[in-house]
Amino acid sequence: MSLISLRERSQLLSKLTSTELDLFESLSREMTAADGEILFEEGADADTFYVVADGRVALELTSAGRSPMIIQTLGPGELVGLSWLFPPHRWNWRARVVGASRLVVFDAVEVRRHCHENRDLALDVFQVVAAEMAERLHSTRLRLLDLYS
Amino acid sequence: MTANTAAPSSLQPDAMLPRPFRVASTAADTVDTVTLILEPEDGEGFHFAPGQFTMLYVFGVGEVPISVSGDPGTAETLVHTVRAVGAVTEAICRLTAGDRVGIRGPYGTGWPIREAEGKDVVVAAGGIGLAPVRPMLLTLLAGRHRFGAVSLVYGSRTPGDLLYVDELHSWRSRFDVEIEVTVDRAGSDWLGDVGVVTSLLPRIPFRPENTIAVVCGPEIMMRVTADEMILRGVSAASIYLSMERNMKCAVGFCGHCQFGPEFICRDGPVFAYERIRGRMRVPSL
Ligand SMILES: Cc1cc2nc3c(=O)[nH]c(=O)nc-3n(C[C@H](O)[C@H](O)[C@H](O)COP(=O)(O)OP(=O)(O)OC[C@H]3O[C@@H](n4cnc5c(N)ncnc54)[C@H](O)[C@@H]3O)c2cc1C
Repeated sequence: MSLISLRERSQLLSKLTSTELDLFESLSREMTAADGEILFEEGADADTFYVVADGRVALELTSAGRSPMIIQTLGPGELVGLSWLFPPHRWNWRARVVGASRLVVFDAVEVRRHCHENRDLALDVFQVVAAEMAERLHSTRLRLLDLYS
Repeated sequence: MTANTAAPSSLQPDAMLPRPFRVASTAADTVDTVTLILEPEDGEGFHFAPGQFTMLYVFGVGEVPISVSGDPGTAETLVHTVRAVGAVTEAICRLTAGDRVGIRGPYGTGWPIREAEGKDVVVAAGGIGLAPVRPMLLTLLAGRHRFGAVSLVYGSRTPGDLLYVDELHSWRSRFDVEIEVTVDRAGSDWLGDVGVVTSLLPRIPFRPENTIAVVCGPEIMMRVTADEMILRGVSAASIYLSMERNMKCAVGFCGHCQFGPEFICRDGPVFAYERIRGRMRVPSL
């Protein structure tokens, strides 16, 4: 699948220049994932990231002796994975696919390498991911307020 | 302006006299929320506009404002959905079939149904806020051809706190309404969304310049949802909220529910966001 078709729905992809998008395209591949498939586990190396094309991914916390808790779900166009951009490049949560889904998976190691070599690209990527983080922080703060009580 | 304004009942001598109703049935929606079906003892039915509320009196305990959550097309009964948060609401949730209560009203302004005709309608509800918008949703669905795209975004604490689950499922199976539900936290057996209610707005279809938004829930939830709708191009004049304040008389007399220059019971509870936006940020109000 061409990234251009996902561009409109994805904050990350919509902010990239067409040259950057070509680069991202070359560092990505489309994948289908079955319900329950684990994209990454908490504590593992964050060497990929994903954009959801169709379906849903749950970020969850697993803990011995209790069933996993879902922290947040991510749907079409949304970026799955932020930790790949920041040392120590390790996942904070587990990512589990909910229902059959289609995703684009990116090679985060290569994206990082390109960012080191190309400061303009790095700035664009950091700006987009930082905007995403700010939005998630805002949502988290709202949820901390226990909005529906 | 909102569509339906109650008669100035403060002028009527019996405005403070409750009408006796009998509980026909009750059903627990969640651990702390119950839906009651009430029948008027005088057999004269109950007419209301979506968005209006009554003063529900539990004899010997007290009286509280509760929005009507039933179908405006059914005048024989009065339906209320009540969450137990204190003495009176706990007493209401303990009522059983055959118990008597007193009802005053209906009172207040209603949701902007006439204004919504021909437009896309976004209904956003949080927690118990789905109860006051249910009559609006039923009206939209009953006259579906009169409106553009119709959507509901609904946020709740956990999957166990969701109201009207069977009805949500049946609405979801229709092809002419968009239903999106999210919760703040869930176990891994939950197949739906987890996140704040505003995160659902990018998914629903509406033309910002031709949209009426109806928002009901706790005040902060309404504010952030209304602000997000504005960011998405909907004007503050086209966003309607239902405000809650402590009430006593419900007929614009006692001043308990004063909100700046207006009384929530008489001038509201439904207000256009444009009108109250500034006041919603004043801590002393
Ligand atoms: C116009 C209007 C429509 C309403 N519609 C509904 C409805 O359809 N269903 C419904 O369940 N409630 C509704 N309410 C809220 C309901 O009136 C209150 O929950 C009730 O008055 C509380 O009375 P109480 O004696 O049970 O609790 P109180 O003893 O008065 O309060 C107990 C505790 O609950 C807190 N509390 C009070 N009100 C609320 C509230 N709304 N939400 C959370 N905590 C609260 C108080 O701060 C206090 O800490 C509506 C209120 C208004 C003004």
